[in-house]
Amino acid sequence: MGNVSTNRLAGISMVQNSELETTKKKRPADNSGEPMQKKPAKHLTRIFSSSYLILILLFVYLPIVYLVLFSFNSGKSPSSFDGFSMRWYEALFRDRTMLESIYVTLIVAVISTVVSTVVGTVAAIGLSKAKRLIRTVVLEVNNLPVLNPDIVTAIGLMLLFMSIKIQPGMLTLILSHISFCIPFVILSVMPKLRQLDDNVAEAALDLGATPFKALTRVIIPQIAPAILTGALLAFSMSLDDFVVSYFNAGPGTNTISMYVESMKRYNLSVNAMATLFVVVVALILLLANLVPIIKDKKAQKEEPKNA
Amino acid sequence: MPKKLISALLLICLLCAPLCSLADGTLNVFNYGEYIDDEVIYNFEKEFGVRVNYSLNSNPEEMYTKLQTGVSYDVVVTSDYMIDRLIKEERILPLDKEIVTNLDQLDDSMKGLYFDPDNTYSAPYLWQNVVLCYDTTKIAPAKVEEKGWEILLDPELDGHAFIYDSPRDVFMMAFKALGYSMNTDNPDELQEAYDWLVKMKQTIHPSFVTDEMIDGMAQGEKWIAMMYSGDAAYASMENEKLAVWAPTQGTNIAIDCMFIPSNATNPEMANQFINYVLDYDNSMMITLETCYTSPNAKVLEDVTAPGGEFDGVEGYLPRMGYEKDEIYQYVKLLQAETPELLIKVQMQ
Repeated sequence: MGNVSTNRLAGISMVQNSELETTKKKRPADNSGEPMQKKPAKHLTRIFSSSYLILILLFVYLPIVYLVLFSFNSGKSPSSFDGFSMRWYEALFRDRTMLESIYVTLIVAVISTVVSTVVGTVAAIGLSKAKRLIRTVVLEVNNLPVLNPDIVTAIGLMLLFMSIKIQPGMLTLILSHISFCIPFVILSVMPKLRQLDDNVAEAALDLGATPFKALTRVIIPQIAPAILTGALLAFSMSLDDFVVSYFNAGPGTNTISMYVESMKRYNLSVNAMATLFVVVVALILLLANLVPIIKDKKAQKEEPKNA
Repeated sequence: MPKKLISALLLICLLCAPLCSLADGTLNVFNYGEYIDDEVIYNFEKEFGVRVNYSLNSNPEEMYTKLQTGVSYDVVVTSDYMIDRLIKEERILPLDKEIVTNLDQLDDSMKGLYFDPDNTYSAPYLWQNVVLCYDTTKIAPAKVEEKGWEILLDPELDGHAFIYDSPRDVFMMAFKALGYSMNTDNPDELQEAYDWLVKMKQTIHPSFVTDEMIDGMAQGEKWIAMMYSGDAAYASMENEKLAVWAPTQGTNIAIDCMFIPSNATNPEMANQFINYVLDYDNSMMITLETCYTSPNAKVLEDVTAPGGEFDGVEGYLPRMGYEKDEIYQYVKLLQAETPELLIKVQMQ
């Protein structure tokens, strides 16, 4: 074990060294190779690259803007805007089937995210300390559901639940979502664990921490960003899954994707719902970015006083 | 940290609580999407003190798969030929005639369908036929009325047609155009129908879609569509240029019925629900919301009478008592072969 980890560490440090060397070598060349005549060309590439970026952003965000705009349409059509109204929001909050399917979708997404994040993280930590053979075998098995088409997972799970005679419903829905979320959590946590310095955890143990404390105070804080990534991935996977949900949901457990699939006529309440999702996500992003800045400013203000 | 975890788990349990508590006094209804007026469900809940778990379905084959997985529904709405199949497979509970008394409000043509002559197992929910819905500014009505299904072989319509992406309906059209029964079990006729469809595909290159065509026709995306009369009625109410025509070669009368699967957990309430839906007021609300034809004789009379909601709406009232029109039966050959053949047609 010790050998393996030191070898790996050595490998990482070698990589870092070689990277450093190449950047060092490049720098002087870059500085010298920047005569005045070349500036217009550079200007052009900058314009080109920024317009390319703008095009990509438009391509990604225009559909969302379009969708939000039409959620306020006073007509029924998803393609001709008749005027501003909130009727589709009203319709959304009156449509119980739709509200329930949003509710089911969110509950399933939250529970399966929490469970699969915990299980996936623990599994990844365990695997990182496991024997090489076990680790490779388990990781290969873990890759299977990621590469497998959804439909295979869906029907496989359905047959499993049928054979052990569980009535399809909330339980089977959540179990099936957990099963396809875990591999993604493991995949996002594993690389971060590989970068960790084993000595830090060992030092914590030497300094008298219990293994549980070493796990929660030392290892988990270090891999927290990867856990968050895994959780977000799991959440969004669960939120927009259709095939697996369809085959494993029971009576009364429609998810929003199943609701949309069974629609006969296009209903702008779907736009209203999507708009609400966009607003919530945007608010969360805004808060996540603003809170640290505000905290920093507060800390800066307090510092001079303390000094 | 553990405290936070525990509180998080508690929160999740709290959120789940309403879902778990629904377990008793519930009625599981499985119906097509947007095929009911929600008010009917709410009123039923209030009147009978149960909670209706309403699940959505998009076609009979999916419904059949769902039933096979062992899901227990109390009331299911599905199409005629699928009920024929389920009755033959003995997967349906007989209706309790003591509770379902509103069967006598049904229109005579809806009573005693071929698969269930005494309404022992099923009660009609809504019905319709398959029609041509076309834009009168692009295609002359006289031409459509003369040619019927054959108009789909007209090269002028190249790229301007919607065809319903449903194997039985598409083959029905070909059988009718060729003058055969749509419930044939003759492989040669099936082959001829296939050839007809290939010719149609190569001549007009239609878009094979499902429910997208309803909005598509309402917005004038295409000139002609083969669609269900209820959808055509809705589209023609949205778009004045549209006209509806049931070809004289005959078409399909499709009747969606309610039934109680044999593994239902609450059959008594299911009977109550079926009876409730058959009643005049509720039948009226459902037909007004969906634009599909009601099987309730009085409702049918009232909405099509002068001044009624569907007075003069072409396509609302399907052609009745025409000898060339048929109802789907469960024909093994067609059930087995048409899905694959349709894919082959689409790939031509």
